[in-house]
Amino acid sequence: MPLDNVVFWVFAPIAVASAIAMLVQRNAVHAALLLIVNFFCIAVFYLLLGAPFLFAVQVIVYAGAIMVLFLFVIMLLGVDRGDTLRERLVGQRPAAIGLGLALALEVFFAVRAGVGFAAKAPVGFEKVNAGGNAQALARVLFRDYFFPFEATSVLLIVAAIAAMVLAQRKARAITQAGAEAAGRGEVA
Amino acid sequence: MLRDYLPVVLLAALAVAFAVASMTASRLLGPNRPDPVKLSAYECGNEPIRLPKGEKFGVKFYVVAMLFIIFDIETIFLFPWAVTFRTLGLFGLVEMAIFIGLVFVAYVYVWKKGGLDWAEGQGPASVREARAAAEADLGEAARAR
Amino acid sequence: MLPTPKLDFLPVLPELILAGAGIVTLLYEALAPRASRATHLGLSLVGLAAAAGASIALWDRTGDPTVLAGAIQADRLAVVARVIIISVAAVGLLLGTHYYDRSGDERRGEFYPLVLFATTGMTLIVAAADLIVVFLALEILSLSLYVLTGMSRRGQATEASMKYFLLGAFASAFFLYGVAMAYGATGTTKIAGIAHALAGQTGGQALALVALGFLAIGFGFKVSAVPFHMWTPDVYQGAPTPVTAFMAAATKVAAFGALIRVLDVSFQPLAWDWMPVIWALAAASVVVGSVLAIAQSDVKRMLAYSSIAHAGFVLTGLTAANQDGIRAALFYLIAYAMMTLGSFGVVMLVSVRGEERTSLASYSGLGRRQPLLAGLMALFMLSLAGIPPTAGFIAKVGVFGAAIRAGHWQLALVGVVSSVAAAFFYLRVVVLMYMQEPQGEEQEEDRSPLPRLALAVPAILTLVLGVFPQMLLGVLDKASVLRW
Repeated sequence: MPLDNVVFWVFAPIAVASAIAMLVQRNAVHAALLLIVNFFCIAVFYLLLGAPFLFAVQVIVYAGAIMVLFLFVIMLLGVDRGDTLRERLVGQRPAAIGLGLALALEVFFAVRAGVGFAAKAPVGFEKVNAGGNAQALARVLFRDYFFPFEATSVLLIVAAIAAMVLAQRKARAITQAGAEAAGRGEVA
Repeated sequence: MLRDYLPVVLLAALAVAFAVASMTASRLLGPNRPDPVKLSAYECGNEPIRLPKGEKFGVKFYVVAMLFIIFDIETIFLFPWAVTFRTLGLFGLVEMAIFIGLVFVAYVYVWKKGGLDWAEGQGPASVREARAAAEADLGEAARAR
Repeated sequence: MLPTPKLDFLPVLPELILAGAGIVTLLYEALAPRASRATHLGLSLVGLAAAAGASIALWDRTGDPTVLAGAIQADRLAVVARVIIISVAAVGLLLGTHYYDRSGDERRGEFYPLVLFATTGMTLIVAAADLIVVFLALEILSLSLYVLTGMSRRGQATEASMKYFLLGAFASAFFLYGVAMAYGATGTTKIAGIAHALAGQTGGQALALVALGFLAIGFGFKVSAVPFHMWTPDVYQGAPTPVTAFMAAATKVAAFGALIRVLDVSFQPLAWDWMPVIWALAAASVVVGSVLAIAQSDVKRMLAYSSIAHAGFVLTGLTAANQDGIRAALFYLIAYAMMTLGSFGVVMLVSVRGEERTSLASYSGLGRRQPLLAGLMALFMLSLAGIPPTAGFIAKVGVFGAAIRAGHWQLALVGVVSSVAAAFFYLRVVVLMYMQEPQGEEQEEDRSPLPRLALAVPAILTLVLGVFPQMLLGVLDKASVLRW
């Protein structure tokens, strides 16, 4: 068995198991840690697929930055808030599981019919990636896709405004509530 | 191709093995006679009174993390640009300058709106005042001498 | 050294101007010590006017159908959709300025850059020639709208923003998955390229069909078609009313503009496969929207359900899968944008300070208290109900005609029956305004002239398009020819 397959069969079960464990985990911090495991496994898959740049991005952005954000949000809301996961609709959970499985099967068969589960890289893949994966990506990103690339900067500006407007208002509200509580305390 | 990463894997394995081995060694070989004074936090920490139940982080951490991600993504774009920038030529340079310029607008906005101030009264303006006051003090001290 | 792509920025000039105006207002907000709303409004309106001018100048453009390395489509559909979106944004800005002025809310200077960035996303999505650009534009407009929805002190607005964001992110994921599938099936994400690849393929196209399904989910969410409509009533009700007016009217135009391209260009070779899907979405939206709107007692919620029904009517036109259908859908979108913008504008003026008086009961006797507002509201309600001589009537005739000519008479029948049922709740508002006594004692009224002036735009268009539809139909004849 080639090395690629060995690595895949080591990491694939870990990826699936950590994803499922994350879903059933009640403790939010544990779920976040399991998500990191899952992100790392996916990063390894990118490596197997010959996309080392994506591997690095996955580790830096997802396993690094996004996870920190998740943990901050969990801390922001309080770790052990009584979970209000009571189901409002009867039978929603079985229906969701059933439909989710159906969707997964549909995608599975569609992909098999469409591109197949070939174990080989597509034709010309080695040639495209020659001279480095990041370089190959850059040649496409900064030439054929230069307009979408520039449009991304507008998206980042909006994201910055969003963070400021929504979070700052919340901060102000918290400070205000605290001041009010202190005021009440003095009166009492 | 995956064999190229063998050194990385070996290094990671070595690092983990070293950490585990040294911990185990110190556990097995070192004498272990705990007493309350030894277990207490000494000089570098407070005695925890209770578990941080219901304690919440300030929303400011969240804003900083969010801003970090925005500029992190900028860096992600910069890396492939940097490794090919000779082949991309002037077009690539202008392109990246525009991108960075636009993200810089977001930075200016966040800065001026106080997104980077950690606490009230620590913004750029208050820092300038504090520095002016400190310089005045120094000047007085020098004159006094 | 790699060759640089051909740079022809003219077809994307409207977006560049809009994004530039957004950046200028953002910097003004950040750098001016006391930024004033009037300056913000002035800067934004200048930007919108310039962008509208730049779009109209593209009408007679000849040359490559796509520019900037295949990212942007330069055709007349984009021109028409842009002009509608920009007009809606201008009225929305005027309404919003008044809303925040009178509510005495905090300064909210970010309202202007956010509306401008949302408009940029909306105009970009209708001019996108690549699914990646469609996705980016979708994210720009959605992210701006999530924030605009939450820009209010009320808890309801925050809740609406949260719901919109969570469900919207979910829908975006489906859309992105669809783009990936389309790439897997055809090897390209270019809208025209997908069509070429699919036309050349034989045999089973399972992957392309799954891609189409995922893309339909993403668009279905944005246009709030049943069964992807769940968020609409809560978000439309919770958002500040001028934001609701802007987003209800402009987002639909933007999302439908892109949907038309995806269905009638990319997946034209699979038209017989997607037609039943769109048929079902249209029928479900029309019926569910009309029936649930009857049960509402809040005007904003009622209009939200009505917008779901109207999404169904536009989809009815699209089931024709030909130029006839596209033209009918475009006319419907213009009529819908105007009457929805107008009715939410009236709702904003009836509630005096923030969001009070949005119940149906507060409209009783409005004809006596505020004859002008009541008249405007009656016009928009009649148009939404599809009663001549308003734009809504011509629009409905158009989409039903297109569907019938394409052989979907059953769908047209469902639409007509639902329209009759829907007329009930629109006319109920008219009856309340004119045939009921005002309730309660005299209350404070909003009588400011500026927002009324802004509402003249949708009012005049609703009436003029109803009486002289030929003026627009001639333009739409040319706009509904897709160049690719």
